Amino acid sequence: MTLPASQLQGDDSLSALIDGELDDDTAQRLLRRLGTDAHERDRFAQYCAIGDALRGLPDGDPGFTARVMAALEHEATVLAPLRRQRDRRPALWLAAATVAAISWGLWHSDPRQPLPSPPLASAPMLVPAVDATAYVAAHQDFAQAVMAMPEMQFTRVSLNGDGR
Amino acid sequence: MTPRRFVLSARTAPRRFTCLVVLALLPLPAAADYLPRHEAAALLQRMADASRRLAYEGVFVVQSGGEMQTLAISNRPIGGAKESRLAAMDGVQREVRCTQTGSLSLVSEGGQLRMERRLNSRHFPDLLPQDATPLANWYGVRLGEFARVAGLDCRQVELTPRDGFRWGHVLCAEKDSALPLKAVMVNERGKPLMQYAFAEIRLGSAPRMNTAPTLPEVPDSARPVVGDSVLVKQLPPGFSRVTAVRRTLPNRPGEVEHWVFSDGLTHVSLFLENSPRPVETVRGQSKQGMIHLLTRQVGPLRATILGDAPWATVEAIAMNLEARGGER
Repeated sequence: MTLPASQLQGDDSLSALIDGELDDDTAQRLLRRLGTDAHERDRFAQYCAIGDALRGLPDGDPGFTARVMAALEHEATVLAPLRRQRDRRPALWLAAATVAAISWGLWHSDPRQPLPSPPLASAPMLVPAVDATAYVAAHQDFAQAVMAMPEMQFTRVSLNGDGR
Repeated sequence: MTPRRFVLSARTAPRRFTCLVVLALLPLPAAADYLPRHEAAALLQRMADASRRLAYEGVFVVQSGGEMQTLAISNRPIGGAKESRLAAMDGVQREVRCTQTGSLSLVSEGGQLRMERRLNSRHFPDLLPQDATPLANWYGVRLGEFARVAGLDCRQVELTPRDGFRWGHVLCAEKDSALPLKAVMVNERGKPLMQYAFAEIRLGSAPRMNTAPTLPEVPDSARPVVGDSVLVKQLPPGFSRVTAVRRTLPNRPGEVEHWVFSDGLTHVSLFLENSPRPVETVRGQSKQGMIHLLTRQVGPLRATILGDAPWATVEAIAMNLEARGGER
């Protein structure tokens, strides 16, 4: 179910955006606002982090957490979004609409289409080291380093579409 | 402690993906002190040109995590190109020589000299691409504080990524020539991941090079790829494929395909090799978080994606690989 803009205000609209419950026009309008309003962007990052925390999800992207934590440091009050009671169906269209809107509205110099990546589930389970020495050595031709092999840590992950 | 295994459910995965994509692609906040793009592009190009067109020799230090290395460098312009030589001053005896005809790595270990052709002539302070102007599309550029490096005055130039697909950089450009005297790669919190700095440098002299005008004859271990074996459906903004070769890897039998994607400053390698058994999908990360790696199965091939780039970049490339129909 998608909701028109008239039924949404403030906090509701961000929450509905994350849930994929906005109609296309409203979603695109909100995404453009996120691109220009640092305060709204910070709130969006907080909502994402709070949602993950409530569901007990691990931090799959260190950069994401860092950005959120940086935003939190500047916020005196954290508002937790109310959980909607009705059934929510995954809306994959939102991923495409999200990136399309950003690409169209914010990346004028690059008309690329969205990155249609399926979600990645991270399993924080250490696995035996992959022998990456040869790959790192070959990559050195392009990397900045003229250094020794870095110490690496490996985890097993689940990837939608594996084995295609 | 028993490790917990987390799996995203069908309900939560789209929500999380929305968060990650939106946050990765949002531009940096408008700031009055970022240079206009045309000025940023001109400054970046000036720094890029200086590292090739100037004659200089000196010693610089590379530091990453707990590792540190000192290298001697000499550079002189030859026509529109450069001729440079780097020599490691500690650890294994290693040299990199770059001429108009290519780049060579010489490693002396156990009394034996090993020579290998490099696919690229990139090294400090020549880190920016030949055409540096497009970088202004992907990085906000602003002038920072004045500083002093190796006895010379310089001014910091901060490159802040406009999205989450690249690390930030802080360069210190010599006040007259714009030659980068120092370069620091930083993560999204501004924490240094790797840094270079000249300890001493002599500008303007034409150093006497020990290199021969042409490189020794070393068989080229790489040849161009004919026909792509996988399809990359989409790349992160600003990235394009800059190299695709078949090559052997050090101490590994057989050939692999080595592709490189870059925005000019960030480089991500993709290695493709036949895989008799399906491989497990594994994510790797260097201790400092600078290098990320992902290995996965793509059709009959094992794909390893590796780069000194944020996880989002490696992940985006890995997840957009698709096997082409039929065997190679």
